[in-house]
Amino acid sequence: MSVGHPLLAARGAGRRFGARTALEPTDLELWAGEIVALVGANGAGKSTLLGLLAGALPPSFGAVVRAEGVRVGWVPQRSAHYGRLSALENLELFARLEREPEPGDAARRLLERFELPAERRPTSGLSVGNRQRLDLAIALLGRPRVLLLDEPTASLDAARRHDLWETMAQVRDAGGAVCFATQNADEVERLADRVGVLRDGRLGAETPPA
Amino acid sequence: MRSILLVLGKDLRLLRRSPLLLGVLLAYPLVIAGLVGLVAGYANAKPRVALVDEDGLPPLVTVGGHTFPVARTIDQVSRNVRLVRLSPERAARELETGKVVATITVPPGFVARLEGMVQSPSLVLRTTRGGLAPRVTQQVQALVYSLNRQLQRAYIEANLRYVRLILKGGDGTFLGRRFEVLGLERTQRLLEELPRGRRLDRIREFVRTARLALAQTSGALRATANPIELEQAPDVGRTWALSAQVQAYALALTISFLALLLSSGALAAERDENVIGRLARGLVTLGQLVWAKVALAATVAVALGLAIALAFGAIIELGDVVGGEPWARLPLVAVSLALAGGALGALGALLGALAREGRAASLVAVLVVLPVVFLGLVPAEVAPLAGLVSDALPFAHAVRLFGAALYDASPWAAMARESAWLLALGGIFGLLARIGMRRLTA
Repeated sequence: MSVGHPLLAARGAGRRFGARTALEPTDLELWAGEIVALVGANGAGKSTLLGLLAGALPPSFGAVVRAEGVRVGWVPQRSAHYGRLSALENLELFARLEREPEPGDAARRLLERFELPAERRPTSGLSVGNRQRLDLAIALLGRPRVLLLDEPTASLDAARRHDLWETMAQVRDAGGAVCFATQNADEVERLADRVGVLRDGRLGAETPPA
Repeated sequence: MRSILLVLGKDLRLLRRSPLLLGVLLAYPLVIAGLVGLVAGYANAKPRVALVDEDGLPPLVTVGGHTFPVARTIDQVSRNVRLVRLSPERAARELETGKVVATITVPPGFVARLEGMVQSPSLVLRTTRGGLAPRVTQQVQALVYSLNRQLQRAYIEANLRYVRLILKGGDGTFLGRRFEVLGLERTQRLLEELPRGRRLDRIREFVRTARLALAQTSGALRATANPIELEQAPDVGRTWALSAQVQAYALALTISFLALLLSSGALAAERDENVIGRLARGLVTLGQLVWAKVALAATVAVALGLAIALAFGAIIELGDVVGGEPWARLPLVAVSLALAGGALGALGALLGALAREGRAASLVAVLVVLPVVFLGLVPAEVAPLAGLVSDALPFAHAVRLFGAALYDASPWAAMARESAWLLALGGIFGLLARIGMRRLTA
């Protein structure tokens, strides 16, 4: 598995917020065909590490290296889309920003796939689960090879959770990589090829799932 | 550029869905402008001036054969002050406490001197210190000037009666004494009846020359009284409310509120929606996000500013005021609106980046926009420091740019100077906003 280059890697990457260090210098590699779980208590640094890997946060030290041509999809823990636009409008806007060749088609395809409401209702009025699925749909725009998910099943019912697991497996099976943060041991056991344990901003030894 | 346009399109779409917000943003500065106008109007209100009558002014005063109703004459000439009759003691007390800004005292013997037409009587003016005192002094000087103008006619008529008496002859009175005058005309006729002679011819020549000279006295006396006459032509200019300055201020005030509030609120809203991280992953850089908000402010400024300019133009047309309608200048106005909106939008983006949160950003923008506007309204001659600070902010430059674009006969030099200022200020505020954006990602 470690032949060639990882799709995405943190090389001594860490992050400070003011005087507080949220993530100590961290090394983590995501390889094609694997799913990596990040576990740890609240405030351990899981979201910060995912944010650094996604490029949403600039690292305070170290670097994040992305293999050439690799696109990264990111689902943050808190909803990250425009609440006063509809689900379709959000998808169309981000499809254009992701330079999808047919943004309208891509948006409608994902809208149907994730069974999101098609009417022009602002997403601020949607349920938490629907908003989380919209975030996942947005993350899949641009056909990313790496998918980063921050506690993605926290607000999903059982059926939707299984749909999400299926999506993650599809990305891995297509030669991509998935890294997700979770508090759910069952999820780790079912999906993860490797597990990274974060404690007080430090990534401990990676282990295979129990 | 594509990313900026996509974010701009999204913001305009959201704005279109908030007509109430847009209406408030448009109405609020107009309400402020109205209040400022009211305050300015109050500043022009008549100051209260005490009239202390120590002479017991009669209802009628006769000067040179002309009779003046005193109260009506004072009312006519005191249009710019509100005269209140007070006793000397009360007037002095109210002057000390500032309830009146000045006292005018009519001293004893005033009317007698006036009717005597030999010595000029005096009025005594006392004012408070500073404040309105210079203005009141000017207004009382104008009042005395107006009284003198009315009295001059009576004085001139009285003097001319004496001149006519010397010319034509007849009965006259002076200081209450009656007398008879032969007159130059009758003197000339009597001289014609006498035999010719060298000495008599010299007298005849003097009488003839004196008659000719005195015949010119009427015009000469009037010219002496008024070396320069001010002739007031019928009103042809715009009313104050439609003046170029008011229009430029109204545009700048409205655009300032719109641009500052919109760009600060829109930038902070990106953080509220938690999308900055998603955008910053290579989709839209933080710098592009700032310029998208600057473009939003400029776009809205052009659209609404042109609507306001067109509304002004229509009112001017309906008011039958000729000259200076904005139709021919709309392209210049549009460019000016874009520049001013952009510079103010950059300042708003800086506030949005520093405030971090949408509601705080809007509050800060409202708190900032009022001093920005009022600093621009203070004349630099009155407060040089205010002028310097105002130069570092876009409002005053926007006012001058709109004024030049709308009404200057040769607007290019002023437009180039103010455009350069706005571009430079917009660039500086934009760069500062970009630096401040780091706080939004923290």
